[in-house]
Amino acid sequence: MENTIFGLTEGQIAQFGLTFGVGAFILYMLFIVLNLALESKAGKFGTFIIFLVLSLGMMGFMAKNIIQWVLGI
Amino acid sequence: MTQASKPATTQTVPVDMISPTRWIERGWEDLRANPLPGLLHGLVLALFGWLLLWLARDRFWLLAGAFSGFLIVAPVLATGLYHISRERAAGRKAGLRDVIALWKSFDGRLVRFGVLLGLAGTGWVMASAGLITLWSPVPILKPADFFRHVVLVKEVGLFEAWLVLGSLLAAPVFASSVVAIPMLIDKSVPVSMAVTASWRAVADHPGPLVWWAVLIAMLVGLGMVTGLVGLVVVIPLIAHASWHAYRDLSASKSPAPASAS
Repeated sequence: MENTIFGLTEGQIAQFGLTFGVGAFILYMLFIVLNLALESKAGKFGTFIIFLVLSLGMMGFMAKNIIQWVLGI
Repeated sequence: MTQASKPATTQTVPVDMISPTRWIERGWEDLRANPLPGLLHGLVLALFGWLLLWLARDRFWLLAGAFSGFLIVAPVLATGLYHISRERAAGRKAGLRDVIALWKSFDGRLVRFGVLLGLAGTGWVMASAGLITLWSPVPILKPADFFRHVVLVKEVGLFEAWLVLGSLLAAPVFASSVVAIPMLIDKSVPVSMAVTASWRAVADHPGPLVWWAVLIAMLVGLGMVTGLVGLVVVIPLIAHASWHAYRDLSASKSPAPASAS
């Protein structure tokens, strides 16, 4: 029997998540960039986004390695 | 008893890379000066986190959704602590009664902001579910599945992509709320104006605010790896510190050229 979550199959959730979740997210980002571009601050805000993604990504990656090290994997 | 004998630092300080640690220091001073409301907030939120963990222990996506929403909406729940920091800075002592009065005011702006944050959390969980369901070789149905097949896999791939996706969503949410939520407590301004002020502060000080976001993530991470016990202290500490961040950020404009004075 195929696994379902709240009556939806994995494929349906994936499709829904990617279509609407990521789509809405991209629109949200575009809205922010547009708003800030209008205020001539897009450069600095872009810097913030890039550095935040890099910093949090790096932190998560380190956390993954520490967890693996603690568990001896 | 008032705090008049030992007033808190009330001046704002120009924002630089040292500012986030200074905000934590001032938040710690506020927490030590008036620990009961803060620790009670932390305890209630930690208890709520445990309840979520227990209720959704075998349903990963329910747990992820509830927990993400819980963490994202937490800044709105902590508004009472901003009020306590503000009162302390003014030389007054506020207690639980003041916090309850603030909540009972049922400020529509805070409710709207909380709903928006909740929607952002839902968007994150949906996007996250889409990414993981498409990419993971096995179905992720329980928290243990997520750790085994996403977090603990040796290869670089899904977990890192998941982190990037999460950070991309966290960035605008953080930028929208870092100044906005304390501003809604402090001033009678509409949500849109508070959010715009928040974005402007982030655009004016990208470096310090990235460091501030990373510090918050590290503190919350520490609180979570202690089985949520650490959140009892971490939540009020971040809440009080957030007030000081708001004070400095709202007083500070774009970095000015060095002054001779």
